[in-house]
Amino acid sequence: MNNRFDSALDWGALAPLRLRARGAAEGLWAGPHRSLRRGAGVEFAGYREYSPGDDLRFLDRHALMRHGVRVVREFETDTDRSVRLVFDASASMGFSGTRAPGAKLAFAAVVGAALGWVALRGGDRVSLDWLGEGGGAALPWGSGMPAFERLVHVLETAEARGSVAPERLKSLVTRLGRSSPAGSITVFFSDFLDLPPGALDEIAALAAYRRSVVAVQVLAPDELDLPFSGPVRLRALESDLVVDTDAPRSRADYQAALARLSATWRDGLVARGARFLRSSTLEEPGAVVRRVLESLAGAGA
Amino acid sequence: MSFLVGAALAVALLVVLPLVAHFLRRGRAAELPFPPAALVKATQTSARRERKLEDRALFSLRALAVATLAVLGATPLVRCSRLSLARGAGGSLAVALVFDDSLSMRATPHGKSSRFERARDAALHLLDSTRAGDSISIVLAGTPARVALAATTDLSLARRTLKALTPSDRATDLSSALALARSSFASGAERQRRLVVLSDYAAAAPPPGDPPPWLPLPDLAEKLPDCGIAAADRRGTRVSATLACTGADAARGRTLALVSGKKPLAKLALEPRAGVQSVTLPATGAPPPPAPLELRLDGEDAIEEDDSAAVAPDTRGMRVSVLADETESGAATGGAPLVEQVISALERDVTLRPLTVVPDQASDLAADALVVLDDPAGLGPEARGALTTFVEHGGMTAALLGPRAQARRIGATLEPFAFGAVRWEQPSKARGADVASLGWLGAEAKSLADVRPSGRALLDVGHTTGARVTATWTDGAPLLVERELGRGLVTTVTLPSSVSVSDFALRPAFVALLDHWLDAARRRRGLTTSVAGTSWSFGADRPVVTGPEGPLRLVETPDRGRIATPVVRGSYRLTSERGEEIRTVGIEPEEITLEPTPPPPGATVAASAPSGQLLDASAEVAYALLALLGLEVLLRFRRVGTHRRAR
Repeated sequence: MNNRFDSALDWGALAPLRLRARGAAEGLWAGPHRSLRRGAGVEFAGYREYSPGDDLRFLDRHALMRHGVRVVREFETDTDRSVRLVFDASASMGFSGTRAPGAKLAFAAVVGAALGWVALRGGDRVSLDWLGEGGGAALPWGSGMPAFERLVHVLETAEARGSVAPERLKSLVTRLGRSSPAGSITVFFSDFLDLPPGALDEIAALAAYRRSVVAVQVLAPDELDLPFSGPVRLRALESDLVVDTDAPRSRADYQAALARLSATWRDGLVARGARFLRSSTLEEPGAVVRRVLESLAGAGA
Repeated sequence: MSFLVGAALAVALLVVLPLVAHFLRRGRAAELPFPPAALVKATQTSARRERKLEDRALFSLRALAVATLAVLGATPLVRCSRLSLARGAGGSLAVALVFDDSLSMRATPHGKSSRFERARDAALHLLDSTRAGDSISIVLAGTPARVALAATTDLSLARRTLKALTPSDRATDLSSALALARSSFASGAERQRRLVVLSDYAAAAPPPGDPPPWLPLPDLAEKLPDCGIAAADRRGTRVSATLACTGADAARGRTLALVSGKKPLAKLALEPRAGVQSVTLPATGAPPPPAPLELRLDGEDAIEEDDSAAVAPDTRGMRVSVLADETESGAATGGAPLVEQVISALERDVTLRPLTVVPDQASDLAADALVVLDDPAGLGPEARGALTTFVEHGGMTAALLGPRAQARRIGATLEPFAFGAVRWEQPSKARGADVASLGWLGAEAKSLADVRPSGRALLDVGHTTGARVTATWTDGAPLLVERELGRGLVTTVTLPSSVSVSDFALRPAFVALLDHWLDAARRRRGLTTSVAGTSWSFGADRPVVTGPEGPLRLVETPDRGRIATPVVRGSYRLTSERGEEIRTVGIEPEEITLEPTPPPPGATVAASAPSGQLLDASAEVAYALLALLGLEVLLRFRRVGTHRRAR
């Protein structure tokens, strides 16, 4: 059980991330879709700051010589299936419970990295963003193995701390809305327990403009069934809330409340064209990756 | 209650601390991180109820532990009916414990334990209330009073000494015991002195003294009915017995029976009266000595042990050797020498052995109780040695010095009867014996008031170590001289029995004198009966003494050689190189007839040593505290285990 209130992430049996992610993605493909095309017929999408590992063919040498700024040119096509991974790195994602192989964020990282591996292997681009105070650096769109290495590196150094501030969520969603091309896929990994009010609408809004949004709710098994016996004092990780309860007596009510919360998210997202999946950290990560891909395929991606 | 005790008890107020802690803990369970805590409905009532049940046991344990700690700090605190020593203002105590181990302490009231056992239990309880630094001495009041344990601070040794005490058939000598106990205080540096007497006070009233005694068990002096057989000895075809009863009720309806093995020989009903009774039973049909006979008293009383007694074998059958010249020591009417005739007249059962010479070997005198030499003409070295050995081993010898005392042959002396020159004075200047100096002989002594011998022996008593003049002539010259030699006695008379010298041998005083010698010889040589507690001296001998309770231990003493002290009535078999001897130990009749008479309340210190003393229960309280702490640890382990399983 992770009783620590610090930000160190409990990887447990989910390490090492690189191997676990590849294992989870073993035998999975992104499905029949056109990969990213560059060259003729490709629509210029704009500039962005150069990141180590970017393809130097797209480095704008004119801007470099004229202004001394390293930027790369981005293009998009109608068939772009770029995958944007967004992880909730708030404190609650550091929870692992008594039976899980690792923290929720670690589990999400494995699933996300596996998705990234699948996408990159299919020639699609992958980027990374964070919710919450933890996490690491955001990764811009990238492709190829170097992008996967950068993705794994950032995920491995992730932390889970603090909470998700409403302003931060709003600015992130705004930025994602601007930088996500049409046809791109955004996958949110969160427990959706402590997100600020309005988060559902903000995230659901990303599903516009032919963009796909998949929300993956990651819960520890203890969160699913409240397994404690006798009197317990439960402390929330992102607030000062403390609840004294008799676990056996309150179990049914709790599970009903959790089901209502998940239903709210599911209904809200599905109504806007997004998908909602609930997963347990006891599941095989590969199964969750498969479910994500299936949900995307079911949506006619 | 002193300030310190009060302060220690005030610690018990801290019992509220676990209560406060209990209330603070109440309703709080172990805190667990749980992100969806907001979805969980608080059910505080149930949680508190269960914790309350669990914490109550812990609270009780902790409160009890604090209270026990306070009691531990305040001990000695507990008031208990158990006996304990008053300590006054504190400090160490000097305790002298007078413990009565006499026969009367065997008395057992109906349905209770014996006086002895109650006294010993009380003594052990008193010992429990002593502390390190207290000194204790133990004096036993059975005759003779003796110190069982000199003053010591080794309390464990005192406890072992008390536990090793056994009841005896001794008489009581409380006065001497109290004097011994008080003398033990002299060397003690302690300020507070406690003279504790555990006795039934069935003895002569002891004189008052300081410190006054404390009688912690006054109920030991409860009067209990008892009849006992003090002594019994066989006299030819009869058995005479001495019985003692505390009262007429104790003797009423009881019968004394003489038995040989299981065969009854004679019976006699006791007179229903208090005091000492002397009875005689026919021993017709009894097997000849040394077959054992026993007297038994039927019925029940407080002391069962004194209701039977072994019959002492006939003590009259002793041998007396006489060396006398028939021509000089005989009577004009003829017959044996006068000494032999008188002895034969006094004791029918005495075996007389005329001697022509004094034997040269001590073994030739081993069977004799008395050796009388009438007008000896000196003794050679071998004869002197044999006679000295005989006397040192408990024999008695008497010499009637005559004219031959002066005409000794070369190399012969009159030792051990006289040392130095012995002069025969003739004509004698004696004008009768000093009757006053012969008072111990009785009324017959007057018959010597006008004896006028033709001659007499003059002794130089100053040359004889330990000689004691027991009778004199009117002019102060010694008539009778006695001297202790080893276990025996040497007596010298300055007149012979010869009628040619005087009519001394024809006077009643002569008969009384020989009777006195026979008694003394029986006591010394033929003392086959004694009372419990009387020591037997054996000098350099090392006999094996076997009694009713097994072999007796011989004790070396500086002045009396080896001694053995039988403390239980019954027959004792003495086996030595000189043969086998049976001795019988009886009891002092007064030990039964004397009623318990405790001193008046004013002569004791009951006020300063009340019952229900403060009892130091530190050890017990400490053990209880330890047990409570252990119980709490167990409870906490169990609780932790329960929580782990729950999560």
